[in-house]
Amino acid sequence: MEKDIKNIISDSLKINGGDYKEIRIEENNSTRITYRGDSRENISINSGIGGCARVYSNGGWGFSSFNDIYQSKNKMADAISLSKLNSSESIDFEKNSVGKVSLPARSIKNPKNISLNEKINILEHYKDLIVNKKNINGCEISYGDLERKVIFSDTLGNEIEQSFIHVILRISANSTDGNEMLQSGFSIGSLGDFTIVENLDKEVNECVAKAQKLINAKKIEGKESTVILDQILAGVFVHEAFGHLSEADNVYENERLKKILKLGTKFGNNDLNITDGAKIPNLRGSYEYDDEGTPSTKTPLIRDGELVGRLHSKETASKMNEKNTGNARAISYSYPPIVRMTNTIIENSNNNIKDILKDTKDGLYVKNWYGGMTQHEMFTFSSAETYRIENGEIKETLRPVKLTGNLFNTLKNIDGIADDLMINQGGGCGKGGQMPLPVSNGSPHIRINNCLVSSG
Amino acid sequence: MEKIKNYLSKKFDQYEIYRSQSNSKSISFESNSLKEISSKQAEGTSIRGIINSDLTFASTSSTDPDKFINVIEELSGYPIFAPIIFPDYTKKDKQVQLYSSDTYEFPNDYLIDQIKLSRDKILKVFPDALCDSGFNLIESESQLENSNGLEIGTKQSYSGFYVSVQIINNKDMLNIYDGSSSSLIINKNQIIMITEKIIKYLKLGQKIVNPPKSGCPVLFTPSGLLQSIISPLLVSFNGSNIAKNLSKLSNKENTKILDENISIYDNPSIDYSPASKNYDDEGVPAKKFDLIKKGKFISGYYDLKSSKEAKRQTTGSAGRSINSQPTPTTSNIVMEKGKDKLDNIIKSIDDGILIDSLLGAGQGNELSGDFSANISLGYRIKNGKLIGRIKNTMLSGNAFDALSKINHLSLETENIFGTINLPYLCTNNVEISS
Repeated sequence: MEKDIKNIISDSLKINGGDYKEIRIEENNSTRITYRGDSRENISINSGIGGCARVYSNGGWGFSSFNDIYQSKNKMADAISLSKLNSSESIDFEKNSVGKVSLPARSIKNPKNISLNEKINILEHYKDLIVNKKNINGCEISYGDLERKVIFSDTLGNEIEQSFIHVILRISANSTDGNEMLQSGFSIGSLGDFTIVENLDKEVNECVAKAQKLINAKKIEGKESTVILDQILAGVFVHEAFGHLSEADNVYENERLKKILKLGTKFGNNDLNITDGAKIPNLRGSYEYDDEGTPSTKTPLIRDGELVGRLHSKETASKMNEKNTGNARAISYSYPPIVRMTNTIIENSNNNIKDILKDTKDGLYVKNWYGGMTQHEMFTFSSAETYRIENGEIKETLRPVKLTGNLFNTLKNIDGIADDLMINQGGGCGKGGQMPLPVSNGSPHIRINNCLVSSG
Repeated sequence: MEKIKNYLSKKFDQYEIYRSQSNSKSISFESNSLKEISSKQAEGTSIRGIINSDLTFASTSSTDPDKFINVIEELSGYPIFAPIIFPDYTKKDKQVQLYSSDTYEFPNDYLIDQIKLSRDKILKVFPDALCDSGFNLIESESQLENSNGLEIGTKQSYSGFYVSVQIINNKDMLNIYDGSSSSLIINKNQIIMITEKIIKYLKLGQKIVNPPKSGCPVLFTPSGLLQSIISPLLVSFNGSNIAKNLSKLSNKENTKILDENISIYDNPSIDYSPASKNYDDEGVPAKKFDLIKKGKFISGYYDLKSSKEAKRQTTGSAGRSINSQPTPTTSNIVMEKGKDKLDNIIKSIDDGILIDSLLGAGQGNELSGDFSANISLGYRIKNGKLIGRIKNTMLSGNAFDALSKINHLSLETENIFGTINLPYLCTNNVEISS
């Protein structure tokens, strides 16, 4: 098989046509176990193999994906002919190649070496900690592990083999007073380390207690408010509020947006520093080479409140005449790589969260996340936990809230950045139908003034 | 396949095999020019086997039967409790049309011309607009068979067309999206209609005005209604949520839950709609059924497992993809139209909002029917007229509360994504904040 794949790849790349050609073959094995209500709902093991060919001609792409890897040559021919339908002018990509590279997966405790029985026992135990408690009407537990081996080769001479192991777990408890349905949960993840799934009794018990407390929690009225975000929600905030607009595929063919997002423009206060990078090691968004074979980097996006960089693929970097940052990523062989975030963080400043809190007369402390979305300059994100702040103290639990903002105002409204950076790896990002892409987000506690907030 | 079938029949009391193959192609324009043309081929097999009430599920996209049998063997040690019986074959007298051989055969050049036609219409009115638009065509086949002798083959065609237009003025980014889908090709007339609707809203969106105060009447377009209210509402009708007591509607059949003008049904029998089906993905004949009739809760939507757990009848609503077990899935959702003409509804509003699109809807506590989102496309209505676009405004509320008393329901309805048909709806029971 291994030898077959090598031959398939080199034969496919030999077919004539196209300004640039690449081929990606992937093997993956995944396990998924879910619980819902009071019982196990799904358990599945899936194995698959497939590939894709992508060709650049006439200023555009032809792409063809397939399950049957023995069809690769035909599919490469398809991709070549599809690419020829484009009618713009091709640009020159960077010609750099790293040649032959083979990298094993990061593996601290490989889920593959844990028996299905053991995985089920651990999850079953968490389920038992949740169900049959007062006002609790069920749990939602979703565990997944994925081993993905990717072989990439292109006409620039790259032959890159990389493997990844991902582990993710989301646990939530559902509560009810007989009428309202509420839930409290948390998500975690790791690159190659099953130990994150172990020893979570404390977290699960807290989750149950939080779900029970929500029953008597009040909804807030929609209004502008001062909000303090914990590290997890602030991580989602940076991803939505700024990260997506730093993806150069939004900008590179959009003259007006290029002017708005000109490097050097001030977007935040002096202590705001934002960075993205797959080169930051051992996180779910970490890798050595992206899905176009470009070496990963660590990219400063905002320094001292000023826009200093953005995320690129081969095409966007060449078109904008900026350095390729190695952010072209595909969720699987069924999709072409597009510009994506990796590990996105707000860097520490020098405030203590206790001081930020003490200084907050009236506001909300928002923690943990449900989700988030961006549409150009507008974004929303939602908390899983909310508490009222009064005279510098955290008071009662409120219902979760949704927060919304606008790139041009909200970053400037950040007036307190703490020194307690934490990174959350339980999330996934969606763009262009490709979801969930493994990413991590991180931040210290931050305070935002005049943030529009409403219940739900 | 014979090897797998032999193994399954020896191992299990009952078994089911589901296979699917699909070919798809898509053409995408970005920033007004052709960016990518792609083709995809995918196939896979999944099985379910039952011993007593213990169910095993497995799926694969590889063609190696021995490897697959090993996985099934391993998973059968950890079954899921599911006291279901796979159905026999029921003959249907009238077949719904799901396939046209023409759809997938439309040449790329033709599709590119249609996209250009739409783009050029928009650029003629708004030369600074950037259009991302495209076509997606799919041809798929599935085979379902089970140990009770059921054998069903389904062939479906699909075409989808979308346009997303962005106009940037200083620091304002106006974005409008629309599209449609069908088993037949989305034709020139439909593309012109979609394009003209976008142009109409782009024109209306050029002027930005302040939003009104909360408590004002809010008129939802069919698309706005789906995103804000109908989507969270349908979560409570999901049979799996009802069975697990995660829905407000558990055991509430025949109780009045909404305004008596509201009736919603699920209709899988609309010819050439991409969500239509003759049989659901477990082989149960699919037919029209009521979710809400005149404000009363009639039924949730169920597959075999959830209907058994909830002690109800299946509604033939099982949907599945290759890598997942069947789950309750809606087909074509239709809300019955009202009596008021849209123009008259707008004329009757002194100060209110028209909402067409939301950002961040569906990312909260949907089990309760709660919703909250940024109004990404909304207009202020003043003295019976649309006067401009509102920004930086949030909508929040609860689907059940919002529909408990409504002001108006329009005579006009619109199709959303080609599978959902809703009227315009006006209610006061939502919160607006800015």
